[in-house]
Amino acid sequence: MRYNPAHIWQPYRPTVTGYALPQRSHLSSFLRRYGTLIGFMAIVLFFWTQRPQTFMTLPNWVNITRQMSILGVVAFTMTIVMVTGDFDLSVGAMASLVGIVAGSAFQNGGGLGQAVALALLVGVAGGALNGLLVAGLGISAFVATLGTLTVFRGLALYTSGGASIYGRVIPAEFSSFGRGAIVIGELRIPNLTLLAALALALVFVILRFTIVGRRLYAIGGNREAARFGGIRIARLRMLSFVISGLGAAVAGLMLFSRLSTAHPTQGEGLMLQAIAAVFLGMTMNEEAQPNVLGTLVGVLILGVLANGLTQMQIDTYIQQILTGVIIILAVTLSSLSQQGLRAPEWLRRLLPERGEAA
Amino acid sequence: MARPDIVLCVLGVSVVEHRMTSSLHMQIRQASKAYAGIPALIDAALDLHGGEALGLVGENGAGKSTLIKLLAGLESPDSLELRLNGGRVTIPDSAAARQLGLRFIHQELAIVPALNVAENLFLNNPLPRIGGAFVNRAALYRLAREALRRLGIDHIDLRQRASLLSPGDAMLVKIASAFVGADEQKQPLIYIMDEPTAALNQAEAQLLYAVIERLRARGCALLVVTHRLHEIFRIAQRVTVMRDGMVVNTHQIAETSAGELIHEMTGSSAAHQPQSGESRVGEALPPPHQPIDATSAMPPSDFSGRPRGVTNARPLLRVRDLQTDALTATSFHLRAGEIVGVAGLAGAGRSQLLQALMGIDKLRAGTIELGGEALRNPAPAVCWGRGMAYLPEERRSQGLLLGGRISHNMTLPHLGRFRRWLALIDRRAENLRSQQLSRSVQLRATGIQQRLRELSGGNQQKVMFARAILAKPRLVLLDEPTRGVDVSAKRDIYRLIRELAAGGAGILLVSSELDELLALCGRILIMRDRRLVGEASTADLDERALLSLMFAGT
Repeated sequence: MRYNPAHIWQPYRPTVTGYALPQRSHLSSFLRRYGTLIGFMAIVLFFWTQRPQTFMTLPNWVNITRQMSILGVVAFTMTIVMVTGDFDLSVGAMASLVGIVAGSAFQNGGGLGQAVALALLVGVAGGALNGLLVAGLGISAFVATLGTLTVFRGLALYTSGGASIYGRVIPAEFSSFGRGAIVIGELRIPNLTLLAALALALVFVILRFTIVGRRLYAIGGNREAARFGGIRIARLRMLSFVISGLGAAVAGLMLFSRLSTAHPTQGEGLMLQAIAAVFLGMTMNEEAQPNVLGTLVGVLILGVLANGLTQMQIDTYIQQILTGVIIILAVTLSSLSQQGLRAPEWLRRLLPERGEAA
Repeated sequence: MARPDIVLCVLGVSVVEHRMTSSLHMQIRQASKAYAGIPALIDAALDLHGGEALGLVGENGAGKSTLIKLLAGLESPDSLELRLNGGRVTIPDSAAARQLGLRFIHQELAIVPALNVAENLFLNNPLPRIGGAFVNRAALYRLAREALRRLGIDHIDLRQRASLLSPGDAMLVKIASAFVGADEQKQPLIYIMDEPTAALNQAEAQLLYAVIERLRARGCALLVVTHRLHEIFRIAQRVTVMRDGMVVNTHQIAETSAGELIHEMTGSSAAHQPQSGESRVGEALPPPHQPIDATSAMPPSDFSGRPRGVTNARPLLRVRDLQTDALTATSFHLRAGEIVGVAGLAGAGRSQLLQALMGIDKLRAGTIELGGEALRNPAPAVCWGRGMAYLPEERRSQGLLLGGRISHNMTLPHLGRFRRWLALIDRRAENLRSQQLSRSVQLRATGIQQRLRELSGGNQQKVMFARAILAKPRLVLLDEPTRGVDVSAKRDIYRLIRELAAGGAGILLVSSELDELLALCGRILIMRDRRLVGEASTADLDERALLSLMFAGT
């Protein structure tokens, strides 16, 4: 059944007549695609000048990647859900719950393999529950995952009795993994960074190169057209939630391992940050679609901000305010340039006329 | 045509000429607009006069819609000199356009599904208020009812949710919204209509024609863009032809013909013509013996899908007692290589029939057999996989990923055919196949990576066709394949349909254009009130007879 490329006669010739190929207006298109990246580089430059000795050093950047790795895994898998036009609010609560599940397994004499397997299973099951509610029963993703968020948090608190799990019950191999690294010559690549890179690569391949990825984008682009075009929507939306649940579970284990502590609410901050990262990434796409490389930049922005502002000894509360402002700024600028914002008169006089370069 | 006597009775129109003393005159000069360096409109000039309807014709991408957007204040012109009754005016935004007395019926359906009909009628109109802040619901419904009455519509419930309207009714509601609160006695208005009848069936279109007549009689000026040339001869006094962003010519309607207009629209230069040697302009003309009035782009009848001595061939498709929530007791069959039309008024269940076959609507009862095998619990994914292809009625909302690339849109239902290494897409094969398809549907685009949003309506529809023919389908379901498509694209689409049938595919064609059905199909299924009520051979059928079958079977 496969299509045989040997049967092609001639290469396709563009049949546009008359005018030059479309070219986008320089400024708005440029801002749209690269505005967020430029913003990111500006942030890096700022911290570099403020903390010249410590910020732009290899150990610090390795450190940043490790700090971001957990958020990264959640945000990368969240990208898949958001590609279809849904989102998953339950990931933070799931990450906390998974820590408690693994911790309880250790407490009850479970081995490393058993605890990890159980934790991942819980992640998949939670994701499947979300998928069933959203894709199967047709409840809006917002309401359904808000509900499961509360359920997962309640489960974590109930199972743990509200207390943290730490200390000797946790196998040494488990806690050392989160602090460990692979040493290549001078370079120490943290295990967590490697895990995040693996998740990034997987999600990138899925979204960019696989049939499933193309179909996910089709669902996000026009759900009805995708359905009429023979795409099994419910199945794929379900799958995206399962992947997101699995990502949250992996992130929960990473967090547990790094802190050697499982607290029933320790993953809470992940959800909002992950969604923010995906939104930042969407600003870098021409069609404002979620894309995982954009999400990576989003995660980097959040990570660099946290790292740099801490180095400058700025209050963590202020850090939150600044982070929020930057997210709003990026999304606003991007959506304005998307609407074909006309530059103000004084600026337009300085710019070349549209199409003049043609 | 469609019993204008009846329509006029319904309307109670009194066609009394009482011309306004001060005649309306709008002068448009030097209208130019370029998008990102590509001129879409070059130095266009038009005159609109009170008491006259000016037809505006041209292929997709000729600049008609751009001109309208400038007049509506939706786009800012690169240059535009506008005079209304001699005085210089500008239109910086849509409020200004309204202020000047311009009313628009735009091409795209702008209906808010969650609001009811009356509320939708007021989307572009100021709401009647009480005390400045509260909506005067009584006045809202009264004015809405008046606006619908002016179109002669009484079958649409004002309190019905717009999401429940059929596409034809939705279009009527949109058209009616241009008449909300209008009073030509006080001030004759300028009506600008972009493809107002594209989504209407013939009976509904007749309602609009009557309204246009009346508006004209009251001294209003009208600018009507349409792809249906016979409409121009029906309603307009003058006609302007545009091509490649420029005004080519303006004729008095009595002094021109459909042939001349098509010639001017497509241009005699080779630029637009596909490379093949035969005269495509000539091919677009109706064959002389056809009993059809001045029509556009008619497929020649000798090329129809009438069964050519297909003996004892088992039907490709056999449908028995099909029943869904929107369809009852429908049975028919269709042979390979046959083009079967489906005719009916809007709301007769034509689209619902295709949706039932495609597994979009759930089957309540009945059987579908494709190639002798029963299709149990059909779903779109299954149907595409079994060799069916479907071109939905609303290509923008139901068919296309407008933000997606051409190639991605073409291969969407067929991705399984481009599988490589278990899950990956064989992009090389995908691109090659898309390029090949672009050629065979004669797509005009910068390349297969172009986004669908940037294509004209006709070219978007060609992408839908490319999708439909990618996997050599056995059965092709077409719902209004030439709606909102320009003359040359129409021609290409007719060619594609005929080629598909010649290649052995069975084709079920839903269309509101009766001449199209008569010329392409061997048989026509007649639907009324959500069921199949009859079948007619096109051998001894003309438009009038078909229309009367659609109405009641007189």
